[in-house]
Amino acid sequence: MSGHVDPIDFELFKNALFATADEMAVTVCRTTYSGVLRDNMDFSTSITDAAGNVIAQGLTLPMHLGSVRTALAAVLAHYDHDMRESDVFVLNDPFEGGMHLPDIFMFKPVFAGGERVAFACCTAHQADIGGRVPGSNAADSTEIYQEGLRIPPMRLFDAGKRNETLWRLIERNVRIPVQVFGDIRAQLAACEIAEREIRAQVTRYGMEPARSMMREMLDYTERMTRTALRALPDGEYDFEDWIDDDGVDFGAPIRLFVTVRKSGDRIAFDWDGSAPQVRGAINATLSVTAATSFTAIRSILPADVPNNDGTFRAVEVTAPCGTIANVVQPGACAARGLTAFRMLDCAFGALAKMAPDQVCAASDGGNVGISVGGYRADRSPFIYVDFTCGTWGGRPFADGLEGNANLLANMAAQSAEVSELENPVEILASELVTDHCGAGRFRGGAPFYRDYRVREEEATVQIRSDRQTHRPYGLHGGRPGAPGAVVLNPDDGAKTLTSKVTMTCHRGDVVRWVLPGGGGWGDPLERDPKRVLRDVRNELVSPAAAERDYGVVVDTGRWTVDDAATDGLRARRRAARTTDALPFVTWNDPD
Amino acid sequence: MKNYRIGVDIGGTFTDIVLLDDDGNVISRKISSSVENYARAIVEGLESVFAEHGVAPREVAEIMHGTTVASNAILELAGARVGLVTSKGFRDVLELRNLRMPRLYDLTWEKPPPLVERYLRTVVDERVSAAGEVVRPLARDDAARAVRRLLDEGVEAIAVCLVNSYANPVHERVVAEVVRELAPDLPCCTSFDVLPEIKEYERTSTTVVNTYVLPIVERYLNTLRTGLDARDLRAPLLIMQSNGGLTPAAEAATKPVNIVESGPAAGVVGARAVARQSGLENVISFDMGGTTAKASLVERGEYTRTREYSVGGGIMTGSRLLTGGGYLLNVPAIDLAEVGAGGGSIVHIDTGGSMQVGPRSAGARPGPVCYGLGGTAPTVTDAGVALGHLNPSFLCAGELPINADASRRALEDTVARPLGLTLEHAAWGARQVAIANMIRAIRAVSSERGRDPRDYALFAFGGNGALFATGMAEELGMRTIVVPPAAGLFSAFGLLYAEIEHHYSRTVRRVLRDADPASIDAIYRDLEAQADAQLAADGFDTGHRACTRTAMLHYQGQIYELEVPVSTGRIDRAGLNALTESFGREHAHTYGHRAGAEEPVELVTAQVLGRGLGDRPRVPERLRLADRNAESGSRRAYFGRMHGWIDTPVVARAALGGGGEGPCIVEEYDSTCLVPPGVRATVDASGNLVLTRPDP
Repeated sequence: MSGHVDPIDFELFKNALFATADEMAVTVCRTTYSGVLRDNMDFSTSITDAAGNVIAQGLTLPMHLGSVRTALAAVLAHYDHDMRESDVFVLNDPFEGGMHLPDIFMFKPVFAGGERVAFACCTAHQADIGGRVPGSNAADSTEIYQEGLRIPPMRLFDAGKRNETLWRLIERNVRIPVQVFGDIRAQLAACEIAEREIRAQVTRYGMEPARSMMREMLDYTERMTRTALRALPDGEYDFEDWIDDDGVDFGAPIRLFVTVRKSGDRIAFDWDGSAPQVRGAINATLSVTAATSFTAIRSILPADVPNNDGTFRAVEVTAPCGTIANVVQPGACAARGLTAFRMLDCAFGALAKMAPDQVCAASDGGNVGISVGGYRADRSPFIYVDFTCGTWGGRPFADGLEGNANLLANMAAQSAEVSELENPVEILASELVTDHCGAGRFRGGAPFYRDYRVREEEATVQIRSDRQTHRPYGLHGGRPGAPGAVVLNPDDGAKTLTSKVTMTCHRGDVVRWVLPGGGGWGDPLERDPKRVLRDVRNELVSPAAAERDYGVVVDTGRWTVDDAATDGLRARRRAARTTDALPFVTWNDPD
Repeated sequence: MKNYRIGVDIGGTFTDIVLLDDDGNVISRKISSSVENYARAIVEGLESVFAEHGVAPREVAEIMHGTTVASNAILELAGARVGLVTSKGFRDVLELRNLRMPRLYDLTWEKPPPLVERYLRTVVDERVSAAGEVVRPLARDDAARAVRRLLDEGVEAIAVCLVNSYANPVHERVVAEVVRELAPDLPCCTSFDVLPEIKEYERTSTTVVNTYVLPIVERYLNTLRTGLDARDLRAPLLIMQSNGGLTPAAEAATKPVNIVESGPAAGVVGARAVARQSGLENVISFDMGGTTAKASLVERGEYTRTREYSVGGGIMTGSRLLTGGGYLLNVPAIDLAEVGAGGGSIVHIDTGGSMQVGPRSAGARPGPVCYGLGGTAPTVTDAGVALGHLNPSFLCAGELPINADASRRALEDTVARPLGLTLEHAAWGARQVAIANMIRAIRAVSSERGRDPRDYALFAFGGNGALFATGMAEELGMRTIVVPPAAGLFSAFGLLYAEIEHHYSRTVRRVLRDADPASIDAIYRDLEAQADAQLAADGFDTGHRACTRTAMLHYQGQIYELEVPVSTGRIDRAGLNALTESFGREHAHTYGHRAGAEEPVELVTAQVLGRGLGDRPRVPERLRLADRNAESGSRRAYFGRMHGWIDTPVVARAALGGGGEGPCIVEEYDSTCLVPPGVRATVDASGNLVLTRPDP
């Protein structure tokens, strides 16, 4: 602890700022209009110091972790010496501080006694920002100009007076201004809450002590991070994974490659070796790559490390310009979420070499996005958008979760009943799938599938998914999860589709997606037979798969394990192995 | 012959019993909660109190009961073996939940296990549309097959929740009939009867929880009733519901989902009633015990309610932003925010070198170091002892001896010396950090909802509420603090103030400006008819039944609703317009902004609350309590750097009747109240200690 900061005052001050960041988030959550914010929680709130270092982030979207500083730096580059009380700044341009166009970053400088002491920040994914496709989220755009309205760092409010030029420009360029302005109001309200609270804290402790404590908040986090990093083994750990394709150049896999270098109390993620940027809109800005890398390392640090930029002083993230991990103009990036999820799996793969007892096998690879849009008979437009994922890889200490959000985006499921009431779609099923989880001592999570039936004459259906050709990997002898799938009319001709698809559907058509299964962790022959029995009884694993993958024979009449048969079968399986060593990573089934 | 009313509140370690006669005389008793058989403990406890005070069973008019039997069944996963019948394609709604988890960056997270395992969830082939039309009829044979499969597995109860049944329960009714045919005595709950509202996960979860605890609650209430009857105690037994109203035991046994948060609600009910007697309409209740602190907001004399909460999700820390930790219930409940901070919370230093309080707790065993029961980690209570706030020799009028030296040594060794602080600075710091943690609960119910805590009085109770009340008030800028009599037993007291209440609701989901007023009117009238019928069945005549209407509204597209009162009488176009306007005002009040007039406002849920009215106040204004205060005199106590150590008088509550000023310590059998320098203290007509902080 720095000598001049009182440890009690510091704890109180820190607590107050984090509570405020959470309170900002509650306000956004409760007042938002868009499913992306309310259900996918695709927003974040934070407080920075006067220089733009995040000192407290609310419990919101991990994918925004570390992105605020980049965005605020872009604002400061223009306006650092030209800020007044009640100014509000916004931006969304990925090539000047943003992540992708739907994310509007908002900053309100907070003044106390005439001096700038902090910024209140709120980033929110808007339901639409214009461009060629409703929702501004298409995976198959090929340049940023197709993706919507680009807002460079600009004043939305000038000393409390609204910038009508910008306001009207936004209004003309988005499809659903009522929703967008509703959400912008929510962002403004969040910033006002923070302004009030930060001022109260500065008044209470005084300007200089408040500044010292803000510095200490960063130092404190940095100390905790470095302490935790020191406990991990030094070394260089790399990992390679592949995205199926970008939805434009079908069937052309895209390489992700990361090298993690850990030395003492520092760690670096180097994405050199990843593919050149692609034509489709799945390119990541460096801030996305950084946020993903931070999330990976953050997930193996102790839970009590505060979420602020102090962590990032010990973490370096680099990627060559013009790659999928660091897009340059005019690359498209609206659907960069897909790449971010896959980068998280890739980063975890490298970290699994460093901390094998902490890191899980591959998840489902992030969410499947579906949008169903068009016009009703009365020409009124509809657009239904849903992003869902929910399967974790097996862990060194437990099975992978099923029906649980991804670490990178803690999103909630939308209710099928509400979706049906509000949109011309019917949801016929949303259920776990048997025998799709990767086998392992700790198996991967079982994925689920969902069937949608179109109820309008005609609708444009777009699906964005992945891991059809590159399955979720298993670790330490665990098997990979089953691939994902997209199927048109599964009970009537069953046409299998690619992982990214845009098509016209008609009334009665049924579209199914199946999530990939989580990868397994550890030798399936080591799995406790009682757990296998339970999975069989719950129909997550079939009796045949229990024998084939786990060497466990289940008596399905009495619901018991046939111990003798199991021992024999497992012994034969082990004897048939050519080597005792378990592979670190497994991509495909044996034979 | 006297006329007694009895409140019985089961807590984690103690069961509190309070008897009140018509003249306001109070008898109270703490007994150990015998977990194996709560019902027997209550009956025996009553018997011994009756014997001691010469109470005849016939003198008892009614028994009000707050119970943890339902929540414990959930927390301990000790409910019934339940089978669930659901729609084909939706077998896993209960397990998939809302996908969201309550923690970020946590690779070790485990979901709570589903209350019905997958092999006990069966599906039937049927479909009802969102508009309520039967798209695919349910064959009776198919229902019979699904039910038989569950019966073969030996289920003890069956829950039925089909997709879109909120719009038309016809298929759920078929399944229920089949259950009655095949297993006439088996409890069976359909989702339409438990919660006729949209959202399949919320409705399924609520229905399953109801079914899961039903046999346990039913058995418990039957045992209790039989035990009471056997002692000739024939008074009606009323159960506290999560929503703050009482319900007859028989009704509680059929809808136990309503009594899950029975215990914590009672304290808020008491806070509202006692504050009202003292002329305070706006208070924040603050209930601090050994492991948790809870807060709730009372505004204009009414509770704030929530319609969605989780049981067993662990203690809420931070804000209520992240959900998914427990078992979700969508039934009306008093809105309580809870943090894991109490007297037993452990004081320690984290790896960054900062002082932390909790979330680990020393609990009742080994408890704080000063109890001498083997605890070695200093706690918030040890800090209170070291600061001289708590009696250095004993608590509970001598029943619990205290070793103050042990507290001081533990704090010195584990906190003060490593941080380079004096002992008092470290102990005071622990107190302040605990306060900062607990403030999160108060903010969650106030500033997070656009309410400024400074506009409210702080109503403090629970074993530690009075000790921390002034500190909390100071941090929040609140001026008035009320500490009721017997603050440590106050939840049992709260039961005596409650009235019979029944809540009914229905999904509407219509935009107000397009809605047909007559159809909205019909929905409210139907709900009122249900409430009225239940109150009549409870024995209230027409003059003693009252209904109030409320609406859950939002701007179309929002996910959270705000509750707004709806006027009685026929609903017409003007009424709907007025509703639109009150929603706009409430939105501005809560969130600081409202939308323009062009934005559609949607009525999501219609709600009716039926109340059974008594002829006179439930509790006399002036209570007479036996004064078991043991100590008076003075001791040195620490009040922060500004005041330092002060030789502080230790007084009885009665001594402040004519008014007094801090510093002083009011020491009582069940709690200790700290009055810092500058704070005025008086005792009002109802016996409440009223503290007023000076103007800033």
